[in-house]
Amino acid sequence: MRTFFFSILIIPLLSYSSGSFANEKEYKLKAGFLYNFARFGHWETSLESNEYFELCSTSSDFVKVASKTLQGRNVHNLPILIRHISLEKEMLASCKMLFITEDTATDAQNNELILLKNIMLVGEADTFIENGGQIRFFLTGGKIRFEIYPQRLSDAGITMSSKVLRLARIVENVE
Amino acid sequence: MNITKKLAWPLLLISPLAIASSLNNEDFDLDALMGMDVQATSAMKRAQSAFDTASSIYVLSKEQITKSGAMSVPEALQLVPGLIVRKLDNNQWAITARGVASRYSSKLLVMIDGQSLYSPQFAAVYWEALNVPLYDIERIEVIRGQGGLLWGSNANNGVINIITKHSLDTRNGYADFSLGNQIKHDANIRYGGDIGNKGSYRIYAHLNDGKASKDGTIYRDEIITPVDTAEQYAFGFKTDFTPNNEWDVLLQGDITYSKLGQNLRAAIDETNTNLAFSENFDRTDTRLMARVDNRISNTANQMLQLSWLKQSGTELYLKEDFESIDIDYQMNFIYSSVQLDWGLNYRYNAVNSEEGIVFTSDKDIHFLEQYGGLFQMQYSVVPDSVDLIVGTKLEHNDLTGWQNQPSARLTYKPVANHLAWGAVSRSVRIPMLLEYDYNFKVSGIELSRLLGESTGIPQLDNYRIETFLNGNDEVDSETYVSYELGYRFSDNYWSIDLSLYKTEGENVVAYTSNFEDQSAQFLPALALLQANQFELAGLALTTTKLELDVVSAAEATTSGGDFVLAWQAAKNLKMELGYSYTDLTYDLPLGTTPAIGYNSTNRQLFAKADYSLFTNHTVLATIRIENSNAYNTNNYAALDITWNWLVDSHWSVGLTGKNLFAGSHLEFNNVSETYTIPNYIDETFVLTISANF
Repeated sequence: MRTFFFSILIIPLLSYSSGSFANEKEYKLKAGFLYNFARFGHWETSLESNEYFELCSTSSDFVKVASKTLQGRNVHNLPILIRHISLEKEMLASCKMLFITEDTATDAQNNELILLKNIMLVGEADTFIENGGQIRFFLTGGKIRFEIYPQRLSDAGITMSSKVLRLARIVENVE
Repeated sequence: MNITKKLAWPLLLISPLAIASSLNNEDFDLDALMGMDVQATSAMKRAQSAFDTASSIYVLSKEQITKSGAMSVPEALQLVPGLIVRKLDNNQWAITARGVASRYSSKLLVMIDGQSLYSPQFAAVYWEALNVPLYDIERIEVIRGQGGLLWGSNANNGVINIITKHSLDTRNGYADFSLGNQIKHDANIRYGGDIGNKGSYRIYAHLNDGKASKDGTIYRDEIITPVDTAEQYAFGFKTDFTPNNEWDVLLQGDITYSKLGQNLRAAIDETNTNLAFSENFDRTDTRLMARVDNRISNTANQMLQLSWLKQSGTELYLKEDFESIDIDYQMNFIYSSVQLDWGLNYRYNAVNSEEGIVFTSDKDIHFLEQYGGLFQMQYSVVPDSVDLIVGTKLEHNDLTGWQNQPSARLTYKPVANHLAWGAVSRSVRIPMLLEYDYNFKVSGIELSRLLGESTGIPQLDNYRIETFLNGNDEVDSETYVSYELGYRFSDNYWSIDLSLYKTEGENVVAYTSNFEDQSAQFLPALALLQANQFELAGLALTTTKLELDVVSAAEATTSGGDFVLAWQAAKNLKMELGYSYTDLTYDLPLGTTPAIGYNSTNRQLFAKADYSLFTNHTVLATIRIENSNAYNTNNYAALDITWNWLVDSHWSVGLTGKNLFAGSHLEFNNVSETYTIPNYIDETFVLTISANF
């Protein structure tokens, strides 16, 4: 019984003490997924003229983890560069992919993400797709899964390989 | 990607241990990423990698199950080194680890996604009626020995947890069709899809029409024709809902109807002797499970699971009807360097089996309750090197009261790819109703054997006295204290997993074979005998009855070890070699005989090869060499081999040969433990065509 009460007491603490290690693992895996989205995505405007494949994020924590995880990797024959940015037009200009984490998502809602071209928009907040996102991570059964809004991807000038689409939950007609 | 890394990737698939906790090069594959857990804590499954687990564990991957051409869960389990999987006939199995397998009471806990299949009447897992679509199994985790603290009682010899795929990962169509020399046809179909944008589902159906074995068996000098046919229809579903990242809801169910043939023997008439006969018996097995998972944070979760199980079986002389409801709650969290798991469980069993010729009940027990809780703490004594796991499970049951099952485990990881572990644990086996209450009619004991001399009249000498196996409410829970030591190593090319153990059992059930206190009833018959009134003596004997009482009197020691070596021999060839040794020794008081198994030595030599012939062609072969004096059978070696051809992204073809070069052989012949008369097991050939659409 003591165990029971101890645990009841500790529940409120848990929500705040989410260990950085587990967060790191989640970001590591998500970096892995983003790498695959980049590999299997096709950008209509040629990427050849670029020096890097720029993966941008609004979260400095994610940038730290992803830089380590994806170090030395190439996509579309370009080395991956991971950049921490704020959501300003000038900063976004060279991004090929933008990952907005849940804790940085509120900033993004004021932006007209939907109008951005040639940037793959990936997020994790519940309302990310409603707010103009193209791909959203979610968790189920303790594992990472994702939903894709293909129409919005193609509006932005990007197509995704069926290898990725078949694993995704496809979203259609979100207003 | 350099050569080493290229080679390392396939190793992940074969090594029963490797589940990486951080990302290696090979983990960037999408399918690998999909398989990885975000959560550092988990209920109803292991939270840590198999490599770091402080018990003897083997993870059977979905790739191996697919490549093996297995048609049923027991056939898939034949791929696990160290598991004893013996066939009684085309339908029935005896399966265990680290002990002697029996169709009943193999002291093994079997679960599907955390739902226990245990029935308290005969402690049997009805493998023949267990329908789990193999193509939708994510993996099967096998723990050899008593590593089942988080799950339940009666897991003395091991735990088998069958984990099925998330329905989000099966949102398409699948169908297969098989035929073979022992199968008329076997067909599966599954269809899955989305439910809105928060849920997914799959539904499936299975149809099986199996032939009888070729060779019968010999019972009391009589050749018995095999009748082990099967006719099965199963239907099931799984749905998952994920309203948001914090909550998961799962609902799944299965109903399987089976009509199975068997040869059996039972003492059903006034001769009190076992008579062999054949029958078709019906079974309907239904299970339903709902689970709600709540992710409190990255390092904390809780879950509530409700399970319902109903098993009905109608045999000629045995009508079983069993139902259970389980409510499990578990919470798992990490607080600084301590991982804590605790939970509460409640089980309600309804037993409505009908008494009949074969068994009667003294106490008319129709309901049994079980409730308790568990607590486990994992503490990093030296971060990333030494972990201590202590815990206990306290559980109350109606038959033997409160039971305590504590365990302490220690892991030591000097470097990332070496791990040594040790464990001391205590587990209990709660008596089944057969041992506690029922009177089971068995083949009678001959008068001459009882008297120890001949009466001079053959008819009287050979007369069998009505004999019962008498359940006893004084019977206690069997307790097992196990000491285990293990070592693991894993590398890009090979991995080894070694474990040694000694388990000491107390209060182990045995039967009294001492009839002195039952001798008074024979005096009238003996008096008539001495007065040469033979007919009247015979008549007097028909009123006599012997009881073999179940007693918690024996001690049993099992000791041995399991060794598995996995080796990436070449880019396209993975090998596995296993050796298991179990020695079982009973210490019995005078006048008792063991109930399950007897003094024996069991050895298993196991080899597996997984070969990619060329693109889209694979060959998986296993050789099992079973050497044991526990089953009244000869030793045997059997080769199973499957060739698989992935024709295109939709179609594949598989051809399987099983039990090759073993000849007609018996795998289980402990007929005193079972009513079934086992058949000779033969080679089988199966052709399977499957399609994804």
